[in-house]
Amino acid sequence: MTDTLASVRQPVNTANGLPNEHYIDPKTYDEERRAVLFATWAGLAVAADVPENGDAVPIDFAGMPILLLRDRDGQVRVFQNTCRHRGMILVEEPRKIEGAIRCPYHSWCYSTKGDLVSTPHVGGPGQNTHPNIKRSELGLTEIRSYVWRDVVWVNIDGTAPEFVDAMAGPIERWAEFEKPLYHGGADSKFTLSVKSNWKLAVENYCESYHLPWVHPGLNSYSRLEDHYNIEEYGQYSGQGTLVYRQLKSETGATFPDFDGLSSKWHTAAEYLAVYPNVLLGAHRDHAFAIILMPQGPEETHEHIHLYYPSPDTDDALRAKNAELWKVVFEEDIFVVEGMQRGRHGVNFDGGRFSPAMDGPTHCFHDWVAARVQDYRGPAKAAE
Amino acid sequence: MSLDDDLIAAHLRGDKQALVDLYERAAHLTQDVDSACFFATQAYIFALDCAHPKTMGLHQFLCLHGREE
Repeated sequence: MTDTLASVRQPVNTANGLPNEHYIDPKTYDEERRAVLFATWAGLAVAADVPENGDAVPIDFAGMPILLLRDRDGQVRVFQNTCRHRGMILVEEPRKIEGAIRCPYHSWCYSTKGDLVSTPHVGGPGQNTHPNIKRSELGLTEIRSYVWRDVVWVNIDGTAPEFVDAMAGPIERWAEFEKPLYHGGADSKFTLSVKSNWKLAVENYCESYHLPWVHPGLNSYSRLEDHYNIEEYGQYSGQGTLVYRQLKSETGATFPDFDGLSSKWHTAAEYLAVYPNVLLGAHRDHAFAIILMPQGPEETHEHIHLYYPSPDTDDALRAKNAELWKVVFEEDIFVVEGMQRGRHGVNFDGGRFSPAMDGPTHCFHDWVAARVQDYRGPAKAAE
Repeated sequence: MSLDDDLIAAHLRGDKQALVDLYERAAHLTQDVDSACFFATQAYIFALDCAHPKTMGLHQFLCLHGREE
């Protein structure tokens, strides 16, 4: 077997994109699931999904049953949504945990911190202890998690470096934006379902090359030549614009700015693909996060959340902003779905990149290929 | 309605608060310690589930009989 990823890892001028199997083949999807999604810090949800203590949301993350909850002291925690007894799913629907998390099968109970607090009848009827059932060893399996920019990041397999080390690049780049973020609420979140591999959404997001063709409305004020590429090989990529214009209400009102930004950000904005599956946007007066949730090789749910510098923003302006972004993101659907269908063309070789315009996309391909090569190991890659 | 009927109805409604009270009553009605601990366990688990004020008392009862830690 030749290393099909070697050509991906060439410089952008001569590289090919990831081969078709990385978009359509269930076996390769499963391999990437482990190598790319579970072995790194991936986006799972946003902390705003569990606003109150005891809020619990079950999440299927690429086939992995996860329980996102805010414990009784307000800390966001992530657990495997699986009882330590017989492997039953613990929480089926989003709900408030009033007291304990009770397994619906034999009623083993866990605290919101994951501690196993009771094992009814485990030693026989009315006998709730047994010498071999050590509760201290049978708490819920907690998944490493970290909240940054309200995104709940998880490292499923526990092998990634500390979050702040792994994400040092984007954290440092946007240090000026380390301010409180306020979710815009129900009118500032929406989900798009696309018939596409999750990676195509990343690839489309992080380049500006398509703007004049796919988003002509956007391009009318933010022209292609106003954009610049962001390419940090081995880390993240994206695009920036030098011409960001604030949205205004009919009376000329705008959203407030994030405090303390340097003058650069008065007219600039940036859009980062933080690998593997989180797309972030930052502007002087609002931000957004998109979590890409793979539903299999050929389907993705895009969860979009908009944030503001203040908890009190104008309802109409906020709704208008959400609608504007929704139009932009919906304009991208035919592209990612079209690229997905195109990858069933058996003679497609992964495609070529524009050396000038596609650097951010190649940066992502190179990162994915490196993760997969590491996972396969040198022996397997050389077979 | 009998206690049994009330229990079944509470289960069908998913009424955890009622289940705590009904199972606790069942525990009080029996003279047999094992049966009492069985019913008290049922009450305790539903109390844990819904953060019922009787949780602590039920826990103490079960600990007293060596049934809980």
